[in-house]
Amino acid sequence: MKSSRDFFSPNQSFFWGVVAFIWQLLFFYIPVSFLISTSFVEYFPDLGISRFTLTFYKDFFNPVYGEIFLRSFLLAAVTVVVALLISYPVAYYLAVKVKRFKNILFALLILPFWTNLLLLVYSWYFLLENDGIINNFLMALGIIKEPIHMMNSMFAVYMGTIYCYLPFMLLPLYSVLDKFDTRLLEASADLGATYSQTFRKIVLPLTYPGIKTGAMLVFVPSFGEFVIPALLGGDKNMYVGSVIAHYFLTVRNVPLGSAFTCFSIFILISAFCMYGCIHYIVSRLIRGSHDTETF
Amino acid sequence: MIQKLSKLLLPIWVAAAYLFLYVPLFVLVIFSFNKTAFPYRWAGFSWCWYQDLFASSALWDAVYNSFIVGLSAVALSLIIGLFFVMWIVQRKTDYFLTLFYPNLIVPEIVLAVGLLSFFIFFHIPLGLNTLVVAHTLLGLGYTIPILHASFVAFDPRLIEASLDLGATPTQTFFKIVLPVITPALLSAGLLVFILSLDDFLIAFFCAGSDAQTLSLYIFSMIRSGVSPEVNALATLMIIVSSVLVMAYSSLQVRDRIW
Repeated sequence: MKSSRDFFSPNQSFFWGVVAFIWQLLFFYIPVSFLISTSFVEYFPDLGISRFTLTFYKDFFNPVYGEIFLRSFLLAAVTVVVALLISYPVAYYLAVKVKRFKNILFALLILPFWTNLLLLVYSWYFLLENDGIINNFLMALGIIKEPIHMMNSMFAVYMGTIYCYLPFMLLPLYSVLDKFDTRLLEASADLGATYSQTFRKIVLPLTYPGIKTGAMLVFVPSFGEFVIPALLGGDKNMYVGSVIAHYFLTVRNVPLGSAFTCFSIFILISAFCMYGCIHYIVSRLIRGSHDTETF
Repeated sequence: MIQKLSKLLLPIWVAAAYLFLYVPLFVLVIFSFNKTAFPYRWAGFSWCWYQDLFASSALWDAVYNSFIVGLSAVALSLIIGLFFVMWIVQRKTDYFLTLFYPNLIVPEIVLAVGLLSFFIFFHIPLGLNTLVVAHTLLGLGYTIPILHASFVAFDPRLIEASLDLGATPTQTFFKIVLPVITPALLSAGLLVFILSLDDFLIAFFCAGSDAQTLSLYIFSMIRSGVSPEVNALATLMIIVSSVLVMAYSSLQVRDRIW
């Protein structure tokens, strides 16, 4: 007999299923809308009134902020490109070429992803310091006389970010390449395509979803990165994440911090839209030129 | 010619990438056995930093807090997520899934400051419980897609058959549904635990001043300079994560999420 008081019956499932819904609403959508709304509200404690305002956004059209956004954008873009260049051949080799020990090699690839990010960043101290491994190595080889100053620089931040976010690119790429049917390569070669033609026309289009996911997973967190610049970047250069942390934790100016956060999100979204537009136009142009080629 | 060159180039590239990933970790482990506190120069083998590490009570408090937060977040996000997925699968309202995608896409720092201003506004004291709330939210973004994928692969006729043969929904759940989705539950749980253990950003904003987690402890140690004690801690954590990675990859459900 099916009783309606049964814990797992369809009648009960609404009640329990809705918990996740409420959780998401209460702790995600409400705080985020809260963040957006506080950035538009000015509060006057003496009068006890608040009103709509845009004053918090006014400052962000200053070149100083422009520089910060550009710096973070550049960091994220370079990280995506370098991570893609490093990980595509690795993922391809592992997924398509390797037969034995595949699982072990894959587990080795994702191990850094499961290690605390702070420790990954910390490991670069040993490589980049003035008397660190890289400088000692180069001096022992006689390539350089004086140690190169690498810590607390843009270079250190770039290395740290690329190192930490590499697995985020590797995993989705491996995932699509692992499903890739290698018989397509044979078919393409049989039909007379060269190596690079096969890559451009078969492999790349089929793995494009993985590239897109990887680029997204790398771009978004490195755009808002706070930890890596804080540990490796010194205090000369500010990044988007450091400015947000500065407003919320040091200055404790919540409205201004919220405004800055919203503005960065806006920039992030417009970057994606711009990318989408460019991609659409370029793919249209390429397809157009292909059509003329075939006819 | 190109083909031959690329045949050679590819393995070299792959080996170089593995070196890039592992040289920093290797250096980290090596220097945890260094005798002197003076960094970057090898002075001889010693276990002393491990002894110091095990003697420090602040570390064990942090580990304890991290485990409390991590396990609570795993339990909550799995239970809440499982009921949610069962609900949407039964009602065929799969489009509700999209509600949880932003947890993965929105930069973590935005989530952190959003929650911080939310907690401050409603005068909710910051501490371990606010951290559990935040990590559960983060975890839902992972558990719900993973569990949903395993439910979609599940043949609904098995449930109908079980109910027809007179089993109650509870019996059906424990005898039919649960054994099938156990790998997905385990892998999702492991993933959420690791995320919670690794998370620094949300803890930095939402944990308040006296709730010290492992990540916050590591951050304060790193901030005060290089110390072989951190290397010793790193070595232990790398060992723990290798064990977890082995467990995770043996579950073989990894690519459902990506």
